[in-house]
Amino acid sequence: MSRRSRRFVIALALAAAAAAIALASPEAFAQSGRNPFAIAGGESAGAASGFAGLVLSWQNKFHQELQAAAKALKTSPEAFWTLAGASLFYGVFHAAGPGHGKAVLASYMIASRAALGRGMALAALAALLQGAVAIALVGAAAIVFGATATQMKWAAANIELASYAAIAVLGASLVWKKGAAFLAAAHTPPLPRASTVFCCEAVGDPAHIHSDACGHFHIPDAAALESGFSWGDALGTIVAAGLRPCSGAILILVFTLAQGRFLTGVAAVLLMSAGTAATTGALAAAAVYARETARRFSSPESRRAKLAGAGAQLLAAVAVLILGLALLVGSAPGGGA
Amino acid sequence: MWLGLVRGADAHPHVWVAVRSEVAFGPDGKILGVRHAWEFDEMYSAFAVQGLGKNGKPPTREELAPLAKTNVESLAEFEFFTFAKQGGSKLKFKEPVDVTLESDDKKIVTLRFLLPLETPVPAQKPFSFQVYDPTYFVSFGFEKQNPVTLSKAPAGCSVSTMEPKPLAADENKKLSEAFFQNFSPGADFGVKLATRVIVACP
Ligand SMILES: [Zn+2]
Ligand SMILES: [Zn+2]
Repeated sequence: MSRRSRRFVIALALAAAAAAIALASPEAFAQSGRNPFAIAGGESAGAASGFAGLVLSWQNKFHQELQAAAKALKTSPEAFWTLAGASLFYGVFHAAGPGHGKAVLASYMIASRAALGRGMALAALAALLQGAVAIALVGAAAIVFGATATQMKWAAANIELASYAAIAVLGASLVWKKGAAFLAAAHTPPLPRASTVFCCEAVGDPAHIHSDACGHFHIPDAAALESGFSWGDALGTIVAAGLRPCSGAILILVFTLAQGRFLTGVAAVLLMSAGTAATTGALAAAAVYARETARRFSSPESRRAKLAGAGAQLLAAVAVLILGLALLVGSAPGGGA
Repeated sequence: MWLGLVRGADAHPHVWVAVRSEVAFGPDGKILGVRHAWEFDEMYSAFAVQGLGKNGKPPTREELAPLAKTNVESLAEFEFFTFAKQGGSKLKFKEPVDVTLESDDKKIVTLRFLLPLETPVPAQKPFSFQVYDPTYFVSFGFEKQNPVTLSKAPAGCSVSTMEPKPLAADENKKLSEAFFQNFSPGADFGVKLATRVIVACP
């Protein structure tokens, strides 16, 4: 089999496996975005992450406080500071719950071997994008076009679908790259054979391997295998993790708009984003720490360690793909169960 | 009023609903179904009336009809958030009828509909139901005053409500473990915090 077709078969098999898993357990995701009273999708059943009841109770507390402070603005302007504080902490605790692309971000951090600083930047940009999408949605839809709740729900549902597609595309792109790298690591013989025929058509592709007919194998360059940072994937991660607007943000924006204080709502949502960035950034840091710890305990020289490393990256990539496909299947009209 | 609906260690709802229900009886004394009035919190109400109503006036029923329709369309998937039982077996509901969404002059919106049972049941055995969102995106709570009434009930029928027990600390731990294992966060929260309504007839 040629290198290209082998890669293709691997990617296809993984995609099929992912789809099978997604279809086998639709109830896990079926309710995402379809709650009758959902605003921007069902955060309560969204992504695969969660915390203890304590964190959940804090989220709830700040959601209440947010609502109370926004209401108090009508009579006392100093309630803004209460609103600001509540927004920030709402962002912190809210992001600890489902949604907010944490699973995407963490998996990307493991799959891409991105550095800590980069992970924090991605988390911050994703959180900012999420706030900006909510502001743009309510700003454009409600203020400019006087959209109704039904129209805003429709717009939010489409943005949500796009964000799920972005997760799936990011996952597929990572699976493609990590699958190739894994294959390269798996096919590296203990000793390289002498090169007899030169047929390197893919110069600059560090992970490429030839068929036996070609007469030689390359040992994949470990450094190149492990860096693998691409701006496309990074941008894809920001979009995948941050595109879907947050119900809480949309609610506060529409609520403040109704009181003629939209800019206050915008400030509140930006503070929510800052809080969200703090939580998702910490999660990205934890993913990097876990990855580095795992690497420290395996000898970098051994072929098996390299294989395990490439395998873990591939698994993380598959996780992103599965998540994207499952969310797509769950939110597609008539999909799920 | 809304703060009263939030108890201890809740998950994270975005929408709060104050419920008032009426159990409807047929002329033959059988239970036909449940008529709900769900009053939404101020934030969701602001969302619902956005872009509707003229010159600052609250929107009319007609203006709110499209939203009522989209709300009700997906209710079936969530079993109408209404879980009824008689003698240990679960009862099924049909699509809601008489659906209206209306706004009061404070722009608080209320969704009203009748939820007919697939087959009316005799009232001699205790009939009970709960209203909750299994995903806990919506927090349902019964109104304090007259939460449930009976309509055209035979003489001697009575209704009572059973408040849920507060979540125990170890229960929270169990919940979060279930959360990690099967990705379904609210699976237990909604039902554990739900009031049970019991109707008994002689
Ligand atoms: Zn959110
Ligand atoms: Zn929320």
